[in-house]
Amino acid sequence: MPGMDNMGRLFLVLSLPLVLLLTLPLIQMTTQPTLAMLVETLRDKDVMAAILRSVGLALAAGLLAFAMGTPTAYLLARRDVPGKKVIEGIIDLPIMIPHPVVGIAILSVAGRNHPLGRWLGEMGIQIMGTKTGIVTVLLFVGLPFYVNTVKAGMEQVPRRLENASRTLGAGGLETFCRVTLPLTWRHMVLGVVMCTARAISEFGAVVIVAYHPMTAPVMIYERFTAFGLKYSQPVAVWLILISFALFIVLRMLSRTVPQYYR
Amino acid sequence: MIQLDHAGMALPGFALEDINFTVEDGEFFALMGPTGSGKSLLLEGIMGLMPFSSGRLVFEGKDINRVPVERRRFALVYQDFALFPHLDVTGNILYGTVRGRVPGKEIPGRFDMLVETLGLERVLDRRPHNLSGGEKQRVALARSLILNPKVLLLDEPLSALDPLYLDGTRRLLKSLHGKLGITMVMVSHNFQDVVFLAQSGGIVRNGRMVQQGKISTLFDSPVSRFAADFVGMKNICRFSRDVDRICPEGTGAGILPATPPAPGHTRMGIRPEEILPDTSGAMENRFRAVIETIADHGGMVQVILLAEGMAFEALWPTPWIRDRKLAPGSQVDIAFPKRAVHTF
Repeated sequence: MPGMDNMGRLFLVLSLPLVLLLTLPLIQMTTQPTLAMLVETLRDKDVMAAILRSVGLALAAGLLAFAMGTPTAYLLARRDVPGKKVIEGIIDLPIMIPHPVVGIAILSVAGRNHPLGRWLGEMGIQIMGTKTGIVTVLLFVGLPFYVNTVKAGMEQVPRRLENASRTLGAGGLETFCRVTLPLTWRHMVLGVVMCTARAISEFGAVVIVAYHPMTAPVMIYERFTAFGLKYSQPVAVWLILISFALFIVLRMLSRTVPQYYR
Repeated sequence: MIQLDHAGMALPGFALEDINFTVEDGEFFALMGPTGSGKSLLLEGIMGLMPFSSGRLVFEGKDINRVPVERRRFALVYQDFALFPHLDVTGNILYGTVRGRVPGKEIPGRFDMLVETLGLERVLDRRPHNLSGGEKQRVALARSLILNPKVLLLDEPLSALDPLYLDGTRRLLKSLHGKLGITMVMVSHNFQDVVFLAQSGGIVRNGRMVQQGKISTLFDSPVSRFAADFVGMKNICRFSRDVDRICPEGTGAGILPATPPAPGHTRMGIRPEEILPDTSGAMENRFRAVIETIADHGGMVQVILLAEGMAFEALWPTPWIRDRKLAPGSQVDIAFPKRAVHTF
């Protein structure tokens, strides 16, 4: 291969199994349904509703992660809070624990047997079997991706710039809004993309908290168990295509935000 | 007036200890010392970014050590200028003027005056990454000065500049100080910059102030080997006393000082520019020397001369060497006045 040394060629060969592992099943799945099947699936209102629900609720989780995760990311990046390592470990916990366990854990505090669940009930907020419940679990599983991405971005902003802002008379919050936030905006967009991506694909926690209203991964699972592989594949293909288009748009959006530190 | 009264700061692995000095209103004060001596930390302590953990920082009669940075009305210009990369030059300069920190009516006038004084007219819409080092420096100065601070703190303001801009910026700082009459505290490890700009200063070493006073005093009368080295003193050696003369240890030379060394003084030093080729025979200390080495420093030549067992280091203009056709091995009569002999 021109322009590549022997080591590059060796590592290319060693990378091929990984590339095949990632692409072969997806290529196989996306090429199996016929065009007629794909068009027919697209006309199925339930399928489109489930896919749009998945995308919409995942985006909502991404935006909530932005609102709730940004202060946490700043705290972890810039302050020596007591038990910082423990907090970082807790933030990472959703990546490690099985996702049905996440669903069970959320239900255990959202049910009538828990004071929080009773209080939410009194406020008219239902978790079990609602979109609110789905967004809650999607936020739970996606939050680590947002917080870690934004925290890394904030750590890249030279502390001197924030100090310089304070020497010019700006307080802590003003400095955050006028210096830290504009300089980490790109990381925030990337964090929302990653959180949304993780949320769209979530199945294990969602199926525990809300089988209905049905999200796309739950529908794919249902069609697979009820009708077999052939009927679940077109739904999966549309979910992949729509998600892919969405992430291309989000990635392009993140590129329009200038990057100051490379 | 800024007064540090037994100020200290303890950090893991480093501490500022028992710092005492006073900066008069309108004075240009220099904090000098080698890298890692704690002078920048001292500046951050004065600014309030790292409050002192002991002692007092008094300004206008009040202890302001616990006053938040943003309320001190001090300004700090960083060594790397710390310009905001997401704002253009205008945005950077006006950054601190929001929320009535400067009366709104004054802003346009001060902006125009600073832009003109600092020569920033042509770069106002540029981002910091499109500016030269000198332009960044001037933007950082304008950004601070538009707020009309009571004290301007400068952290190594000249060390990050190209040699091309160095002289101009040095003169600019001096003229700004003269024009605005503002109290300035500068950190520097370059004594030439300090001599040019400051009226008084202090030398910091390992978190302690080893000497302070008028710059001329620091220059002429260092109190220790470290201070002497720092202010560019050379020909430093221990001496013994012999009636009215002092004898550098291990040599046969007898040197006449202006005044007898004070009790406890054990070392002497002579600035290299004081040792000259003897043309008049009028100076008190005269020696016949042999040139050992010549090193050209561009405009000035460092000459090592051997005389009566002592190696003298002198600094002569390059044309002198060229005109006299001097080279290693040449014999030359050298001389220096007795006032050039410092003991400590």
